Amino acid sequence: MKGVVLSGGTGSRLRPITHTGPKQLVPVANKPVLQYAIEDLRDAGITDIGVVLGNKGRDEIQEFLGDGSAFGVDITYIVQGNPLGLAHAAGCARSFVGDDDFVMYLGDNLLKQGIEDLVESYREGSYDAGISLQRVSNPEAFGIATLDENGNVERLIEKPDEPESDLALIGIYVFSNRVFDVIEELDPSWRGELEITDAIQGLIDRGCAVDSHVVEGWWKDTGRPEDIVEANRLILEDLSTETNGTVEAGAEVRGAVDLHESSRIESGAVVRGPVSIARGTTVASGSYVGPYTSIGKSSTVDGAHVENSVVVGDSTISADVKIVDSLLGRGTAIESADGYLPEGQRLVVGENSDLKL
Amino acid sequence: MRIITHTCADCGTVVSANELERRRVMKCPRFDCEAILRFDDLSDEEREFFLDNRDQYHL
Repeated sequence: MKGVVLSGGTGSRLRPITHTGPKQLVPVANKPVLQYAIEDLRDAGITDIGVVLGNKGRDEIQEFLGDGSAFGVDITYIVQGNPLGLAHAAGCARSFVGDDDFVMYLGDNLLKQGIEDLVESYREGSYDAGISLQRVSNPEAFGIATLDENGNVERLIEKPDEPESDLALIGIYVFSNRVFDVIEELDPSWRGELEITDAIQGLIDRGCAVDSHVVEGWWKDTGRPEDIVEANRLILEDLSTETNGTVEAGAEVRGAVDLHESSRIESGAVVRGPVSIARGTTVASGSYVGPYTSIGKSSTVDGAHVENSVVVGDSTISADVKIVDSLLGRGTAIESADGYLPEGQRLVVGENSDLKL
Repeated sequence: MRIITHTCADCGTVVSANELERRRVMKCPRFDCEAILRFDDLSDEEREFFLDNRDQYHL
């Protein structure tokens, strides 16, 4: 079995963070979202992985993943170019997949429990597809599956007005190579894309068995800033203590704190886990870093209060401010305006930024 | 929809026809591959099909 990880898309809902990089490399608990997908595949025994690239972030994604050896996998790149839909992205992988089955994993999705159960369930039957589902409270906003009494998928309906179930498709699928013949016969939807729900429905219409796997743990699509903050919280909830860095006498550290060996919590600082602090970062005296916060590499928190937030890295936060539920992009500086005249806040804010002062 | 791709003979990177047609001649997009890929690497039949149906390959 092979893996196909989709890493295209414009990341428009994550602007301004994605003005300078692909959404799949935004860190959650100081690890790019894409890495979780690669590791889930590897942990399920799938090491031959095709990474589908769009028009944005190709160089950055290749720079991060390389040939895959750093992650224990072998990576082939597949350039989709124009974003013509998930089924088009899958279709571009046809020559890579060959006669194998494959797992298709959306590279901006996170899944608590991994994909081993999904893959095992698919392998145990004679299926041409397996889909992951999760119960949702607003099924009209999702692609919804109706199952028969054996758990096989009977039909899929995209954003139904009157949902027949609350089981929403999430971004991880298993396919046999029969799906490629179905994709060849698909027409673009009203939005000009080849839809993966149409491909799965096409398999069902041809009499193919489609397995379902209901995900009980959390699943997160990290498409928006608030999703990144929420995903960070979910990942950090399972953080085990790994304090390798320097904690000075007089610093107060409680709970699980993943502190890189090159990082430092200075005397007079307070850190309450779960917190992740990447390499080369300092939490200085008078600072408070609260639960569910990740601070990226080469950053300094000096006198500020940061809680339930993601600081991507290379940043300085030295103003006496309280920052909560926030996502700060790389290279951010939040400094005191004290002493500047005329009094007032001084901002250099990129396009599509969102500030609540 | 027929999806046409070309595979770099040197590194195995797969490139879709819309990308090849847009650039006509390009360095292989893989970071460590110096191969040159061309729209003309596709077969005559693939090129003709793509050009006859190019509208569906553009959003």
